[in-house]
Amino acid sequence: MSSNPVNITVDRPLQYFHSLSSHQTDSQSTDIFNGDVDFGLVVKEAPLCTHLNVRGSAQDQSFVAGISQLLGVALPTEPGTYHCNQQQAIYWLGPDEWMLVSQTGAVELEAALRKTLSGHISIVDVSGGQTLINLRGADSALRTLLKKSSVYDFDSWPQAKKEAGRCAQTTFAKATAVVSNKSDGSFDLIVRRSFADYIAHWLLDAGQEFGCRIEG
Amino acid sequence: MSQINRLPSGARIDSSVAVKFTFNGKQLQGVAGDTLASALLANGVNVVGRSFKYSRPRGIVGHGAEEPNAIMQIGSGAGTVPNLKATQVELYEGLEAASVNGWPSVNFDLMSITGWFGRLMPPGFYYKTFMYPAKLWMTYEHFIRKAAGLGSSPVQDDPDSYDKLNQHCDLLVVGAGPAGLMAAREAARAGARVIIADEQSEFGGSLLASTQRIDGRSATGWVEEIVAELNAFANVQTLPRSTVFGYYDHNFLGILQRRTDHLVLRAAAGARQRLHRVRAKQVILATGAFERPLVFAHNDIPGVMQASSVSTYINRYGVAPGNRLLVFTTNDNAYQTAIDWHRTGRTVVAVIDSRAAPEGQLVAAARQLGIQIMAGHGVIEAQGGKRVKRALVAPLSADGSEITGAVQRLGCDLIACSGGWSPAIHLSSHTGAKPTWDQNIHGFRPGESKQQERSVGACGGSYALSACLAEGAAAGAEMAHLTGHGDGILHFPVPEAEEVQEQPQQALFLVPHTKATSRAPSQFVDMQLDVSASGIELAVREGFESVEHIKRYTAMGFGTDQGKLGNINGMAILANALGQSIQETGTTIFRPSYTPTTFGAIAGRDVGDLFDPERYTAMHRWHQDQGAEFEDVGQWKRPWYFPQSGESMLEAVNRECLAVRNSVGILDASTLGKIDIQGPDAAEFITRMYTNSYLKLAPGKCRYGVMLKEDGMIFDDGVCACIADNHYLMFTTTGGAAGVLAWLELWQQTEWPHLQVYFTSVTDHWATATISGPNARKVLAKVCDDIDLANNAFEFMDWRDGTVAGVDARVFRISFTGELTYEINVPAHYGRHIWEALIAAGEEFGITPYGTETMHVLRAEKGFIIVGQDTDGSMTPADMNMDWVVGKNKSFSFIGKRSLQRSDSVRENRKQLVGLKTVDGTQVLPEGAQVVFDPQQVIPMSMQGHVTSSYYSANMGHSIALAVVKGGHSRLGQIVHCPLADGRTIAAEIVSSVFYDSKGERQNVQ
Repeated sequence: MSSNPVNITVDRPLQYFHSLSSHQTDSQSTDIFNGDVDFGLVVKEAPLCTHLNVRGSAQDQSFVAGISQLLGVALPTEPGTYHCNQQQAIYWLGPDEWMLVSQTGAVELEAALRKTLSGHISIVDVSGGQTLINLRGADSALRTLLKKSSVYDFDSWPQAKKEAGRCAQTTFAKATAVVSNKSDGSFDLIVRRSFADYIAHWLLDAGQEFGCRIEG
Repeated sequence: MSQINRLPSGARIDSSVAVKFTFNGKQLQGVAGDTLASALLANGVNVVGRSFKYSRPRGIVGHGAEEPNAIMQIGSGAGTVPNLKATQVELYEGLEAASVNGWPSVNFDLMSITGWFGRLMPPGFYYKTFMYPAKLWMTYEHFIRKAAGLGSSPVQDDPDSYDKLNQHCDLLVVGAGPAGLMAAREAARAGARVIIADEQSEFGGSLLASTQRIDGRSATGWVEEIVAELNAFANVQTLPRSTVFGYYDHNFLGILQRRTDHLVLRAAAGARQRLHRVRAKQVILATGAFERPLVFAHNDIPGVMQASSVSTYINRYGVAPGNRLLVFTTNDNAYQTAIDWHRTGRTVVAVIDSRAAPEGQLVAAARQLGIQIMAGHGVIEAQGGKRVKRALVAPLSADGSEITGAVQRLGCDLIACSGGWSPAIHLSSHTGAKPTWDQNIHGFRPGESKQQERSVGACGGSYALSACLAEGAAAGAEMAHLTGHGDGILHFPVPEAEEVQEQPQQALFLVPHTKATSRAPSQFVDMQLDVSASGIELAVREGFESVEHIKRYTAMGFGTDQGKLGNINGMAILANALGQSIQETGTTIFRPSYTPTTFGAIAGRDVGDLFDPERYTAMHRWHQDQGAEFEDVGQWKRPWYFPQSGESMLEAVNRECLAVRNSVGILDASTLGKIDIQGPDAAEFITRMYTNSYLKLAPGKCRYGVMLKEDGMIFDDGVCACIADNHYLMFTTTGGAAGVLAWLELWQQTEWPHLQVYFTSVTDHWATATISGPNARKVLAKVCDDIDLANNAFEFMDWRDGTVAGVDARVFRISFTGELTYEINVPAHYGRHIWEALIAAGEEFGITPYGTETMHVLRAEKGFIIVGQDTDGSMTPADMNMDWVVGKNKSFSFIGKRSLQRSDSVRENRKQLVGLKTVDGTQVLPEGAQVVFDPQQVIPMSMQGHVTSSYYSANMGHSIALAVVKGGHSRLGQIVHCPLADGRTIAAEIVSSVFYDSKGERQNVQ
C-alpha cells in the first residue's frame, strides 16, 4: 500500500444539495426565503459508511449463524424486514440477498465476513455506489411525500422498533431505493449515487408544499 | 343585469357574500356557494351556448356531470381551460367564462343558418357529403371544426403544476351521498382504511338539495354531522372535489382531485390538481342516478330542464330559474319540484303526468296545494325561440305511444321534465360488467361484478332514501369485514328517513307528436351532439342494427357528457325501431374517463427536469466547470467534447484526438456497466454467455468478449476480468448494463439454477478515469508508486490492485483507443479526487480531457465496433470480421452458437463490416447513408449496405467511415457510392476497417 494519503477529498452523492431547500411560494409576497421558515420535511444525508451486498443461502445455518455471531445482529429472513444495532443494519433484499450497512470499514468487514463464512456466498462492496438519507418531518407530510414517490404501501407497515423494522427495495419516482422505517417515525432511503441528483430534485419538488430542506 | 331569479335563501349559499364574474364579457354577480350555472340562472341568462351541429340556442338543463349544453371556456391566456360544464364550475371572484360555441355571440349566431337547413344534415352527413374528393378532406375538416368548435386549448405552457399520489385502502367509496356516507362510516367504525371521494364541492350528494328529514333533522344537518365524524377518523381520507374517473383492472382506480380550481389565488395553494392512483381491496360504488329527460319536439329550447335540477337550484342554491313552471313527468318524484316551486311563490302552471291515475303521496301533497294535475297527458312540443313561451299538451294513450285527443297550448317559461332515473353505472361498466335491463326500474342496473366491488343506493337501482341509507350501511360493514375489519354485521342503527309512498313510474322514451317522428319538429335525444329521435330511426332505415354502430353513425353519446342524459332514451328508441327489447339491443360500453381529465394531472410532476432521471458520474461537476458539452447515453449524461473558447465541435474533437495519439488524454468511463460475479461456477457461467472461453483466465488477467442472443446476433460486448478465484468483474456497454444483468439473471434463474453464481451491479460503485496515450504511463507513475508499471510486469490486458493518489484502486490496462491506456477504478466517492489528481499529474504532458465523440473517432480509426451503432441486432461476429472472438472448441456450447450455423448466418453476401475511405478525403459521409454499387442505376437503386460510423480523422488527415456492405470482406479495393438526400453522390473505396496502427503496436508499447 502506498503512503501518500494527503488531502483526499471525498464527494458525498448529495453534497451539492446540502443546505438547499424548497418551500411554498406565496404569490402575494415576493420575499426571498430567508431560512427562518419551519421545514415540514428534512432530508439528511448520513455520513458515508460501508455498504456491502451479501448473498448466500438462508437455509445454510452456518451462513445465518455466522453473520449473526460476527455482527451481533440476526440475519433477517422474514421478507421485507431489517435488523440493526448501533454499529450496523442488515436489510432483507431478497430470499438470498441482503444489504449490510455498517460503520466498520469495508475492507476490514469484508475480510472478517469471508473469514467467518464459507461455501457459495458473495460479498460485494458497493459503498461508493450508494448513499443513505434520512427523511424526517411531520407524519402526514412524510407519508404524502412517500405516496408521491412510490407505489408501495408504506402505511401498511407496523411501527418500527429500535432494533428492527420493515424495508422494501422498490421504485422511487423513476429511480429505485431501499426504503425502511425507523422507530422515531422517520424513514431511511438508500439510493444509488448516479441517481442522487435526480432524487434530490425530486424530493425538493415533492416536499415543496411542506417546506423541504436537504442537510449533510 | 340583477339576480332576478335569486330567492331569499338557499341551503348551501351565503347570499351576503357577492361574487363578481363575467360571462361572454358581461359583468355579472353571484353569491358564495354558487356554481357558474346557478349564478347564470340567477341572473336570468337563457342562452349559454349553441348546439354542435345545428347551432340552435341552448340553455342549462342539469346541475352536474350530466349537463350537455352549458359547456364553457374558463379563464384566459395560459391558464384557460376549455369545455368545463358550468354546472360543475364553482364560482369565484373574477371568474371569466365564455361559451365554447356561437360566433360572434350566442345570441346572434351566424352559424345558426345551418339550423335552417337542419333537414339537410341527417346522421352521417359529414361522412356522406365530404367523402369525395378525398384530398379535399383537410379543407373540409378545417371548416367543419371551426364551425363546430368545442373550446380552444391554451397555446402557452401550462402555468399550473399537478401531482400524483399512490394510495392504498381497504375500501374506496365512490360518491358521498346518503349511501356512500353510510358505507364509509360503517367501514370506518369497523377499523378499515377508507377513502371516500365525491366530485362535488362538498359531501352530501342529493341530500344537499333535499327537503327530506333524516333522524328528525334536516338532511344537510345530518350530512354535516356524519362528515365531521368521518373527518375525525385517522383511518379515513375524505376527498371532496374529487372525481373517480376510471376503474381499471385489479381494483385500480383513478381519482382527479381539483385542489385549486375554485380559488382566486391558485399559485399559493400548490398543485392545481392531484391524481390519486388508488389500489383498493374493495370498492363501493355509490354514484347515484341521473334523471332521465323526456324526448318531445323542440325539447332543447332554453327553459326545458330536468325536474330534479330545478329542485336543486331552488333548494341548494336559492335560484328559481323562471316564473311559470310546467312540470312534465312519468313518475312521482317530479311532484316534489312542483311543490318546491310553489313554495317560492312563483306560478306552477300544471303538472303534466303521462300516467292515467297518479295517486302517490307527493301527488296528493301537490293536489292539496292546489296545483293543477293533468293526468294521462304529455307535452308533445315546446315552443319559443331563445326561451320557452308555451307548451303543446295532448292526452296520451295508456302506454304513451299515441295522442288520443285535442292539443292545448299552455303558456309557461320553464318545463321541468322527469322521465324516471338512470343509475350511474359508468364505473361498473369500466370493469367490463355488462349492464342488465331491469323492467321494474325501467333502467340498466350494474351488471355482475368483475372486480371486488358493489353498487349501492341509486346507482344500484334503489332510489328511496331509506333504502340508500340501509344498503350503504350494510355494504360498508360487509366490505370492511372482507378486508379483515369487523364481523360484517351492522352494529349501529341505520338513520331513519321518512318513507314516501310512491306509485310506479311509466316507461316513456319518446313522446308522440301529431306528426310522424320523421316529420315532427326535432325531438332531441342527445343535446350536445344534436342527435334526434328521427336520426336514430333513419340510421335503422339505412341498415344499422348494432347499438355500437348507431352510436358511431349518429354520434349519440359521443360528447363530453358521454350521453349521461340521452343514452337510455336513445337505446329505447333504437330498440323500438328495430322491433326488439331494450335488453336485446343492449347499451354502449362506458369507458374511462367518466368526465374529462386534464393531461397535466396525468403527467403529474414527471415533466421538465423531472421527466426522466439524468444520471451523473462522480466527476460530473468537473466536466460542467470545464464547459463540457454533454451527450445522452441511456439516462447518463456523458461529456461529449470539451470545447475551448471559440472552438467548434470539429476543432475540439480534432484537438482531443491528436492529444491522445501524441501525448495523453483522459476520459470519464464511469458509465460503463460493471457486474461483479462470484461463485464456484462463475467461470463456467461466463463462458456460456460469451462466445469465447474464460475457464483459463487467471487472476490479474482480462479478456474481451462478445455476447450473442439465441439468434446468434451480437447483443453486447466488453472486457471481463478475473479478480480472484471464482470472482470476476464484467464490463458492459453503458446502455446495455441493465439488459445484460437481467440476461445473466434470466439464464441463471430459469435455465441453469444448478450453477452456483451470484451477480451484483457495481456500476455506481466504481468511478473510472481512463488515461490514454503514449504518456499515460508517465502520468500514472506520478500518482501511483505501488504498482510496477513496467511493460513486462503489467502487460496489455492485465489488471492490478494498487493505490492511486492515496486511494485504493483497480487499474486495468485495456484500451479502446489503440493507445497505451490505463483505466483507473476507485470507489465513486473518490472519483473526483483521483480525476483531479490525474489532471494535475498530467499537466506537464498537456493531459487533455476528451469526450465520447473523440472516443468514437479514435476507436473507429482502430476499427473497434460499438454495439448498437455498428451492429443493429442482425450482425454476427463473422459479419463484424470478429471470428477470432468465437471459441470453436469450447466444451459447453455458448448462447447463440447453434444459430451461427443457420443457413442464413453462413450465406454469402451478408452485410459485412468494412472501412470506407472517401475518394475525396475532405468529404465526411453521413452516418446512415446507403451504399450502392452503381450510381447510374434507375431508382429504386439496389441498396448494398449502409454507413454505420463516420468521422473526420485528424490523425489520418482524411475522413474515415465504417460501413456494412453485402459481401464486403471480399470487396476490398472496390469503389462504392453513397447517394445523399441532397442529390450529391459520394464515392468511396472499400478498405480494411482498421485505419490506424493495424498491427496494434501502440497499445502494447514498451
